[in-house]
Amino acid sequence: MAARRFADRDNPPDLNPRDYVSGEVYRDAGLFQAELDQVLGKVWHFACHESEIAGAGDYRTFQHATQPLFVIRGEDGALRCFFNVCSHRGARLLGDVAGTASRLTCFYHLWTYDTCGRCVDIPREEAYATTGVEKSTLGLREVRTATRSGLVFVTLDDAAPPLDEFLGDSLEIFDDVFGDPSVEYEVFHFHRGTVEANWKAWQETIVDLYHEFMHVVLRTTQMTAAPMTERDMRTYPGGHLAIGGLKADYHNYKAYGAREDSKAFPGLTVDDARFTPLFPDTTIITRGTVMRIDTVTPIDAHRTVVESRGLGIKGEPEADRRMRMQHHNDYWGPFGRNVPEDAFAAEACEKAFGSGAARYQIIARDEEGQGQDDLMLRAYYKAWSDMTGHPSHNPKNQ
Amino acid sequence: MSSDQAIREVVYRTCTALDAEDFDAFMDLCAPDLDYRVTAFSPEIRKEMTWLDQDYDGMRALLDMVPQHLKRLGTLKRHVSIYFMEDDASAKTAAITSSFIVTHTDPEGRSQLFVAGTYFDEVDYSGDRPLLKKRKAHLETRDLGIGSHIPI
Repeated sequence: MAARRFADRDNPPDLNPRDYVSGEVYRDAGLFQAELDQVLGKVWHFACHESEIAGAGDYRTFQHATQPLFVIRGEDGALRCFFNVCSHRGARLLGDVAGTASRLTCFYHLWTYDTCGRCVDIPREEAYATTGVEKSTLGLREVRTATRSGLVFVTLDDAAPPLDEFLGDSLEIFDDVFGDPSVEYEVFHFHRGTVEANWKAWQETIVDLYHEFMHVVLRTTQMTAAPMTERDMRTYPGGHLAIGGLKADYHNYKAYGAREDSKAFPGLTVDDARFTPLFPDTTIITRGTVMRIDTVTPIDAHRTVVESRGLGIKGEPEADRRMRMQHHNDYWGPFGRNVPEDAFAAEACEKAFGSGAARYQIIARDEEGQGQDDLMLRAYYKAWSDMTGHPSHNPKNQ
Repeated sequence: MSSDQAIREVVYRTCTALDAEDFDAFMDLCAPDLDYRVTAFSPEIRKEMTWLDQDYDGMRALLDMVPQHLKRLGTLKRHVSIYFMEDDASAKTAAITSSFIVTHTDPEGRSQLFVAGTYFDEVDYSGDRPLLKKRKAHLETRDLGIGSHIPI
């Protein structure tokens, strides 16, 4: 078979349109804006875990769909999210990534808000008496916030369906993990990595099971630990996905030690692996003793911030926490054996798609929802197409 | 009896060995009771974190597997300045605090800062030659891009 000619590169693959994706989805500025407006601006986005803002006045700042936001636990115990913007002159209100405050005071002119977002002080307020400026109408702009199983979600869309409707049954594979009332989780690990790639290229490394071949860890511990036919891929309305039935035999990788079943999370054995990619930008993954929550935040079409959290059991013995940190970081930390390779892959694809050298990618594997089927990739791009209004195989109608 | 210079050189030689990805040379500089950690403080969750935590056997196994992995292209170079050395003559150990930065040079020859931090080392000089017994590499840089298979 001869190599394909350069002139043919614009020709789409001779495949069912569901089985390939145009490279325009990674590089076109108009499509990126459509993603911000029609996808990221409409969905419920994972903001943080409740344990990060456990006390009154605890807050976390973050960015979603390019917007600066913060979540805060009010003095009334309620969680709220606001734009991180002063109502007066638009200055950034909170500069730290996290903190505790009973009052939020803008550095610029000292306008002050309470933890419920109400404007409570305007210095020399009397000068506004004739101009109609009133504290009571100048609270912070609030963003809808809701929680599920300790996970805090926000949406920029006032008309979005309720969180439970958005999630549907997509977290069902974690019902036993989150369902034990005696177990409370907390975040022990957080790291952020800026990846020179389109944000979806990262998410693809999550939903593409075929790329197990790239990771020596997965080749040795996962691919042979259980029959491919036991894998259980699920798709849900809205583009959410899940896979169960994955197993791992960690002994088969030289640098991993033995793992005790008794240290696994509720409902799991140490060799279980499950994950749920929530469309479009969040993934929850468990590997027996550890849980990771990832979010991807696009900076622009070609750069992405990936945030990873590791969760343990609140109040667990120090030795157990150390074990969990090791298991988490041996696999998923910035010096781990897995995540740096996913980031490598995303950046390598960016080199090709960002430059236009690659025009299409193929997502045509069909194993009836088992093995290394591309079912989840296709479902991801089906949801993307539905929300943006642009078919992912030909998003610019060329 | 090891000289001060020989003790200090353990710090430098561990770095040049890791830079060269000469893992045998690196392990040869480590004591059998090695405790090697990479840590960082997260202001986001307001917690001290341990991103790598290995003993001698763990480090040996981890480094043995590196050639099989898909890893960052290019090279890392550790630049170290020893700030302090405190000798504990009774234990025959020296505690050494060093500042470091690590640069990454890509295959096209472009270099940029990868990570900055501080080494808190303990060198055991009770034997024939000084060996690295403990290292805590505490990172100031927390965004490590795609990360690294090679410890810092």
